Amino acid sequence: MAQIKAIVCGVGITAFNRRTDGSSFRDWALAAFEDALSMSSLERPDIDALIVASESDFFSLQLNPASVLAGDLGLIGASTMRVEGGGASGQLAVQAGVRLIQSGAIRHVAVVGVDPSASQLSAQTVKSLYSFSFDAWVDGMTGVSSTVLYALSFQSFMNRVAVNSHHLGQVTRQNRANAMHNPRAHLGRLHKQPEIDESPMIATPYRRLHCSPLSDGAASVILSAPKHRPGKRKNAPAIVGAGAASDTVHLGARSDAGEFAAKRLAMQRACREAGITAKQINIAEVYDAYAGAQLQAIDALGLSSDICRDLDDGCFSPGGNCPINLSGGLMGQGAPVGATGVAQTATCALLLEGLYEKELQPVSLPRYAVADTHGGICTTAAVTLLAGAAA
Amino acid sequence: MTITHTLNLDYQLQPGWLEPYVQGLLQGNAVARSCSACKKISFPPVRVCACNSTSGEWVGLSGEAHIVSRCDGSDGSYALVQFKGADTRAVVQLKGMVQLKGMVQLKGMAESSQVGYLQAPESGSPALILAPASGESCE
Ligand SMILES: [Zn+2]
Repeated sequence: MAQIKAIVCGVGITAFNRRTDGSSFRDWALAAFEDALSMSSLERPDIDALIVASESDFFSLQLNPASVLAGDLGLIGASTMRVEGGGASGQLAVQAGVRLIQSGAIRHVAVVGVDPSASQLSAQTVKSLYSFSFDAWVDGMTGVSSTVLYALSFQSFMNRVAVNSHHLGQVTRQNRANAMHNPRAHLGRLHKQPEIDESPMIATPYRRLHCSPLSDGAASVILSAPKHRPGKRKNAPAIVGAGAASDTVHLGARSDAGEFAAKRLAMQRACREAGITAKQINIAEVYDAYAGAQLQAIDALGLSSDICRDLDDGCFSPGGNCPINLSGGLMGQGAPVGATGVAQTATCALLLEGLYEKELQPVSLPRYAVADTHGGICTTAAVTLLAGAAA
Repeated sequence: MTITHTLNLDYQLQPGWLEPYVQGLLQGNAVARSCSACKKISFPPVRVCACNSTSGEWVGLSGEAHIVSRCDGSDGSYALVQFKGADTRAVVQLKGMVQLKGMVQLKGMAESSQVGYLQAPESGSPALILAPASGESCE
């Protein structure tokens, strides 16, 4: 039995989309936090620490966002910090919360991930800023986009694993179809393959529909020390393992440009801490910034020994052995960067407790889930393992 | 309603330890890092070698590189390339490097031997740009 590191006693996820209603990232952060707090059955004075995940001051035009959100959330007096690790910011914030709990100094932590990645700046500006997520002095100055780096990495992956455009289509159709049942999702769609094949080519082999959208949104989790588990949250799931790792930032300096080595290492560390193996995992929310990145994640996390066969057999579909991205993932649910990893953890917690959207909730309660997030071209990886109360 | 606010940022970046690399690129020269311990050559330069050695020296490469794999589309044409004399690969922008006939879109082009040369960027930014040799037909 895996040892509990922290209880996930409350979660909140706002809609992920492009906001046009005049609301701000501070409103979304509050909405997500209040949902999480309400579910936790805790009160504001119980929260000892606030950890904010937000990728970029360029998006929010707010330096030191945790100080502002502490006020907006009614948590003045709590210790505050901001955690940033590119796309992994949210998951790293969850893990920072777990480590605070493990220190023994903190009873309850609120983790809030938020980013206005869609409505505040033009898509072109956000894309230009993203291109500084790699080595700004090398890739950034060359003008390489995120999609280009992911495309080159996926091409290398295809040299090792026999996946092709058919599999990219499968992932795209599945994630967007899952998102149809998630009322918070940005891009729930029933794609036909020709629609995907005819969408504009961004960087071979990635077409527009193989990419995740830019979204606004927030997510929150309330983590509690096992000995301070709120009485009303006996069935709350737990975080049992966390692992993080890094890789060289230059794709060309890696021994295999298609291998997400940092993710593999992070997963090994998380499994070691939890005392479980990848084979025991029943549910996965993985970082699908691009359709191929999901296949690379399945490989690095060790969720399959034959990805093509398992895709064709529906192992990763709802009803399969290990459904992946039931939320729709980044491609379907959306990708407000700082919120992404927090939402993945929140989704896993809801699924483990049997509280997820009824069309997506597996019939038998899953025991273990993995929330997998990365930043850069998997330069920073964070993998968190959760267990249901019955595990 | 929205609050309209414009921010203009003009950076004066100082290249620090990367100065030889940046200066080289601006003149169209490939200046790489050679590890003092294991002699591996990285381009773009890696500050601490995979062997953990922190000491190295700057060495000039010919600037010739062959394309390992490339991608094309609305984000432009870029490639993972191997510079002659380097032990690491680089991601470069392609200028005038027309895709060879028979190159399979969905497969890494490991067999490709298409060769290009580092070109000085037209802008003042130290971009990695690969182009055909001057005067050479690109088809
Ligand atoms: Zn060395």
